[in-house]
Amino acid sequence: MNSYCTPQDHINRRALLKGSLLTGAGCSVANFGSLFGADEVTKTAQKKGKRCILLWMNGGASQIDTFDMKPGRPTAGPFRPISTNVDGMQVCEYLPKMAKQFDKLAVIRSMKTGSPDHPDGIYHMHTGFKMSERTPHAEIGAVISKYCGNLDADLPSFVRMGPCGNAGPGYLGPNYAPFSLKRDGSMPTFSTNNLKPEVRERRADLFRFLESEFSKQHKAEPFEGHRLAKERAWRLLRAKDAFDVSEEWPKQKDRYGDTNFGRGCFMALKLAERGVPFIEIGHDNYDSHANNFVCHKANMQQLDPAWSSLLIDLEDRGMLEDTLVVWMGEVGRTPYINNRAGRDHYIKAWTTVLSGAGIVGGQYYGSSDEDGREVAENPVNEGDFFSTIYTSLGIDPRKKHFWGKRPVWLTPEDAKPISAIMS
Amino acid sequence: MTFENAKLVWELRWDVDWVTAVQFIGNSRRVVAGNRRGNMMEWELPEKLEGDAPDPVRFYEGHSNSVTKLRCIQDGSTLYSSSFDHSIREWDMNAKDQGETKVVLNEGYIYQSQFKRYSKKQEPMECDVALRKDSKKLGGHREWVNVMELSKDEKILVSGDDGGHVVFRDRASGKIQKSWNVEGWVHAVAISPDSKQALISERRPLVFDSAQRRALKLWNVEESKATKDLSEEFKKMYLPALAWSPDGKTLLVGRGEEEEGKIWMLDAETGEKKKELEDKHQYGVTDFLFHPNGKHFFSAGRDTVIRVWSLKDGTLVKKLGEPRGGQFKDWIHAIDITPDGKLLAAADMAGQVNIWQL
Repeated sequence: MNSYCTPQDHINRRALLKGSLLTGAGCSVANFGSLFGADEVTKTAQKKGKRCILLWMNGGASQIDTFDMKPGRPTAGPFRPISTNVDGMQVCEYLPKMAKQFDKLAVIRSMKTGSPDHPDGIYHMHTGFKMSERTPHAEIGAVISKYCGNLDADLPSFVRMGPCGNAGPGYLGPNYAPFSLKRDGSMPTFSTNNLKPEVRERRADLFRFLESEFSKQHKAEPFEGHRLAKERAWRLLRAKDAFDVSEEWPKQKDRYGDTNFGRGCFMALKLAERGVPFIEIGHDNYDSHANNFVCHKANMQQLDPAWSSLLIDLEDRGMLEDTLVVWMGEVGRTPYINNRAGRDHYIKAWTTVLSGAGIVGGQYYGSSDEDGREVAENPVNEGDFFSTIYTSLGIDPRKKHFWGKRPVWLTPEDAKPISAIMS
Repeated sequence: MTFENAKLVWELRWDVDWVTAVQFIGNSRRVVAGNRRGNMMEWELPEKLEGDAPDPVRFYEGHSNSVTKLRCIQDGSTLYSSSFDHSIREWDMNAKDQGETKVVLNEGYIYQSQFKRYSKKQEPMECDVALRKDSKKLGGHREWVNVMELSKDEKILVSGDDGGHVVFRDRASGKIQKSWNVEGWVHAVAISPDSKQALISERRPLVFDSAQRRALKLWNVEESKATKDLSEEFKKMYLPALAWSPDGKTLLVGRGEEEEGKIWMLDAETGEKKKELEDKHQYGVTDFLFHPNGKHFFSAGRDTVIRVWSLKDGTLVKKLGEPRGGQFKDWIHAIDITPDGKLLAAADMAGQVNIWQL
């Protein structure tokens, strides 16, 4: 294959096809560090030991019912604001525990984005690029996996649970595909090995022998990638106890909430402790075109204990300064309330929240107007947002990669990190 | 009684926000409604059912969040209101007003037209009304009070909230007699005529989550104990409308939310389904009401059609109103009937109270 770039910076078509198949099947276990070697950016990010936990509000949480409340306005809804541990800052009454963690939060209330529906919004808010672009962009977990992952780790570097992203590793290739847990945090069925250890080892040796003979005559990346993936899958089987939190969970479930999301947040903490650089926990379902308020009330009662306990535990372990915790969904929700007591998708002015990894907490960034219809100041688009995330993790947001011969950057050209919220 | 000549006589203007509750005051021509903002307004209906719709006469200041239910005792002396503000308020309907105030009617038009949802051309107008704000606040809840009902003998006021707390109190004194918690949020309550049993539906509206909750149980009030679990009969259904017939023999159960608004008649003694009514609301049922003649009941729902049914066999007798068009309709949140059975009031999400001559 002719190209203007090195194998370290791109993958070929077959590799992409394989990656797509694996990702589509939801059973890839390949994201164990880089298949293509680490460049200087990777080394720099790895040295910093940064990691990211993404709390994904699937369907799109309502900004007006959480962090950008409009008391007294017709758009307000029935929830009331409460004070936080930072003077002048308020959150929804159904986030009382998060109110006590507000000094850790930078609340961006001026998201103005470009993809109003779910598939395109999920893609856009996982990659920073529109889904309609022909380039298969890498989603945030794959990027962080590449630049913050440990090449020699037994555990995957991109783990997710519940409803999450839809872009996959894109041009970074199948080695950065997500390792997906079930909604309740249990391992995928293929990870259960029913063979006796000695039989497993014998089969592995046979595989290694066949692969080594085959690769002497077939020099191509996918074959090597396949071999590495198998090796790492076997390593994962040895380390899979990291995903078993059943022993500690009884002591933690009252704090995190005895829910899938609560357990997911606790598992994210444990995986981060074990060096996994990116964990995404999805929380269903905020797509409240009807009955928005009871839907959000029920969801916030799960979100509040889980998120706040995660922040507290990260801080107690001294991990918060190196762990970026992101709260976002694919869209916000309309300020107006429809005649189904619902709020529809909205991208003109909505909210995301960052904390940890050098983010200066206890502040709002940007604002929406009095009814929440338009951004009033400091608009932030997807590119700016991802640029902020990558910068805070020590990753160059303008790092160039190649898709075939085409150069591709981590974030769009005009993207700028929000320096006002970074220390 | 066939309700053949039933007709809409007035749309009482308010249009500040959704009207969420409505109640006639005893045998008078007074009707009180509550809205999503926590406001309450009163109208005095003319004896002659003709001419322009009357303007409101009194504004009730007290609640700070959506009014969910209004209930008045038969002599018209005391009105009870429940709200998302975690409170129940008791209003002395014979008390003196606390002055006057100005209210703006059709204020909602400004807001709605900004979002291009509403096409009704009504300009805002100021109106002088009496002001009432000396209600007595009843505690016992720490969450949105979604449901409130009076027992047939009016001695008991039962209420339930989104924290799952069910409260039975002595109406006259306001003192709590019984209370217990259900597992989900209290979605609807019906109390038997002898006040010994209660039918309670529960919900926890989560999606794709094992913690979601839908339940329907009969409870023994004295023992605070569930005696019959009907949840399996109404699996995967949210049930926001329940009623117990005055003769004690029939339970009404209405499916809510955005599912088809199906209605079932149950045998009150056994809890068994007697009949699923053939007609149904386009979307969920919101309220039931028995006509004083003891032969009919009414249902309202997430469409703009009120249905009149025969209590004897569940046949549809009459539909009041027409669908307003569009994929999703405005709701009728609640309905009430005068003790003489001649007028019906409907709390309309579009921001008005509709008065029907039956």
